[in-house]
Amino acid sequence: MMKLKWRDKWLERKAIEITVQQSRRVFVTVSQDDFRKTMERLVKIKGFTQIATITGVDIGKEIEVIYHLKHKELVLSLRTRTSKKEPVIPTIVDLIPGSALYEREVHDLFGVTFIGNPDLSPLLLPEGWPDDVYPLRKKWTSEIIKHKLEGS
Amino acid sequence: MPFLDIIVFPGLLFLLFLAFFCEWLDRKAVAKLQNRVGPKHTGPEGILQPFADFIKLLSNEDIIPAAVDRIMFSLGPILILTLSLMPLFLIPIAGSSALVWFEGDLIFIMFVMTLRIIITFLSAWSSTNRFSMIGGMRVILQMLAFEIPLTIAMTGPAISARSLSLSKIVQFQASEHLLLLAQPLGFVIVTICLLAELRMVPFDIPKAKTEIVKGWFVEFSGKKLALLRLTEDFELVLAASLMVSLYLGGPIGPWQTQSVLYFFTKLVICILILSNLRALFARFRIDQALKGAWKYLTPLALIQVILVELMPMVIP
Amino acid sequence: MSTFRIPFGPQHPALKEPINFTFKVDGERVVSVKLRLGYVHRGIEKLAEDRTYTQNIHLVERVCGLCSQAHVICFSQAVEEILGVEIPARARYLRTIIAEMERIQNHYMWLGFTAHEMGFETLFMYTWRDREIALNMVETITGKRVNYGINTIGGLRRDLTAIAVNPVKRGLDQLEDRMKYYKKLCMTEPTILKRTVGVGILRPKDALRFGAVGPTLRASGIKRDIRFDDPYAAYEEASFNIITYDGCDVASRLLARCEEVFESIEIIRQMLDNLPKGKVRVRVPSQVPQGEAVSRVEAPRGENLHYLRADGTDKLARLKMRAPTLANLLPLCKMFENMNIADIPMIIAGIDPCIACAERMTFIDTENRSTNSWTGDELRKYSIGWYEER
Repeated sequence: MMKLKWRDKWLERKAIEITVQQSRRVFVTVSQDDFRKTMERLVKIKGFTQIATITGVDIGKEIEVIYHLKHKELVLSLRTRTSKKEPVIPTIVDLIPGSALYEREVHDLFGVTFIGNPDLSPLLLPEGWPDDVYPLRKKWTSEIIKHKLEGS
Repeated sequence: MPFLDIIVFPGLLFLLFLAFFCEWLDRKAVAKLQNRVGPKHTGPEGILQPFADFIKLLSNEDIIPAAVDRIMFSLGPILILTLSLMPLFLIPIAGSSALVWFEGDLIFIMFVMTLRIIITFLSAWSSTNRFSMIGGMRVILQMLAFEIPLTIAMTGPAISARSLSLSKIVQFQASEHLLLLAQPLGFVIVTICLLAELRMVPFDIPKAKTEIVKGWFVEFSGKKLALLRLTEDFELVLAASLMVSLYLGGPIGPWQTQSVLYFFTKLVICILILSNLRALFARFRIDQALKGAWKYLTPLALIQVILVELMPMVIP
Repeated sequence: MSTFRIPFGPQHPALKEPINFTFKVDGERVVSVKLRLGYVHRGIEKLAEDRTYTQNIHLVERVCGLCSQAHVICFSQAVEEILGVEIPARARYLRTIIAEMERIQNHYMWLGFTAHEMGFETLFMYTWRDREIALNMVETITGKRVNYGINTIGGLRRDLTAIAVNPVKRGLDQLEDRMKYYKKLCMTEPTILKRTVGVGILRPKDALRFGAVGPTLRASGIKRDIRFDDPYAAYEEASFNIITYDGCDVASRLLARCEEVFESIEIIRQMLDNLPKGKVRVRVPSQVPQGEAVSRVEAPRGENLHYLRADGTDKLARLKMRAPTLANLLPLCKMFENMNIADIPMIIAGIDPCIACAERMTFIDTENRSTNSWTGDELRKYSIGWYEER
């Protein structure tokens, strides 16, 4: 583990895992319950007021949601996991207004519901897209989606 | 007034060819200024290109959207074309008097030009497209702003010639001097206002294609679009020939000679002036254009008229 | 007159790519705006998961025609970070040179595009003529005008030949001269000033709140540039200024981009003068160990971010790309507030949008028909059939 220039004792206690990949990249994993509190702390106290994007990853039973936060030269990727059956995560639009489009994107493609986001209307998928098809989940390979859409 | 004059020279056919020639000249000149080639393949140096475009548009499918007001929508282009062609008969082209002329035809020209714009607005409104409506509103706003300095500036030559007839003004210039020399300011104002009347850059606001998708043009297709394109060419000829007749002496040459060739040469010069201005600027916003017209052009036009009245007193 | 809604796009002459804004206007004033994306989805993120790393290099390059170098550098950096390889110095320098050339040609193109939006066709024609110089330079080095295909994981596929250096230097001089003239024009020509000054205001506070990036952010007076903050390739060895303007309007964005061209030219000159000798490529294994990486690059339009997760096979587990345009769309909506309809195209042009960049995820077109595997022939058959049915 590389030496951390940027430290936060509170976060180190809460986090499930902290990895420092290189001097300007930090990955932090927190549980779903701690997520909102951690985010508030990072934004309000630690100055991570900018977000680069939100990534969703399908990891089998769960969906991992990664928030890439920026502060000067540092990119902190805060990740949390949510069950695939009922994927819900509290929104961060009230903390960082710039995340609105990214939340809609993840909602479209992974079906994660961001509780508290006022506008989760489709951003990328066309009208009439079937409700239960989330194209970036591993289950939906290109062939299956093609098959399903042509059948409908 | 012989039949041949109206149909062939200097009537309909001649004007039609002149219109196509002017479009070609304008396109070619702007292309040169913009470091392009312009029309190249149809005819020598692409001189037949405007004609080819016209024929091609005539053959296109003519779509009438379901929501339009059919009568006004179909009638609009024809009316506009007629109204822009009509004043051309009042312009002295071949000789010092026009095909048709009467005392006060300058006022008639102004009236027809205004009428044309109102018809434009009506046909824009009848096409019930949002872009057309905005375009139509812009047409009216621009007319209100630029018609006034244009009219005021055009009274300058009329006062000098002591006549409201275009032919008389030309005859006055034949006997006295070119009005460009006496009223250069008026010439500049008329040129700017005519750019706005023609809806050319920087005043192509009503049909700005990057903003409102060709504005009031947008729903017209096929034959209607062909007629509207032809109208634009006639308007270009009209604007240039107004400049020629009012300030450059129409078909009058040196030593009291008269020839259509002189008229033609002057017309080409005027069109080159208009094309040059067209290539030089970016488009104004509607509020900026209106502000400019009311704040600068109208007072300047008034000053020009006052100068015309005062001049004879100072220089007898 | 009451308010009515104007659709702006997906097909509109001011937009070179499909996106839909629905404007509520009151006369000529914009009251509010709603945004809809999704007309050019190609599903690149999904496709990437089915391909090997080498194949992905070429896929990623095709995310965007104009900033292909930025995307491909970003991707290869992420893979190199997981692999733990250090690429040769010469490769780093050459990557920088090509990336900066891409910036120059992009800014030239953008300047012309903006001129076109404001109805200034002459400037549009002139800048696009001069952009050819930049494209020819790139062609001299890489062999292609767009989608250069020169990068690979572990360095470059081809080296810069000594013959290419002099034409490139000459080209740079020409481009510098021309840009000086255009900058002067942008600062003095009254109609340009009328259309750009005070248009599309984005206050620094809003720019940060909504997460603007690149020249859009820097024209709001905020000094942020990935090349400087988070240096990659050979930017640490180059000396250059970060251009900021505090006008917060389209005019500032115009001038900021003009001046960035001078900086880019300066960087390329430094790189060419100090070009290290040696190899341009290290061989890397085709299988990438488990790991993840976040990579950032300053594309011509702003920050470009790739997140890569590898699972130990020769195919990647997840690739997330965030192109600068997506980040600039929310600030864009902010800029529209209280503007004229006439200013809409200017403001859109102001962020230098690249819609195809912003959306890469799905792969089905709006007609519910799959297009991902269609060949040209199939497409032709489909279109003929469609017309016959009609």
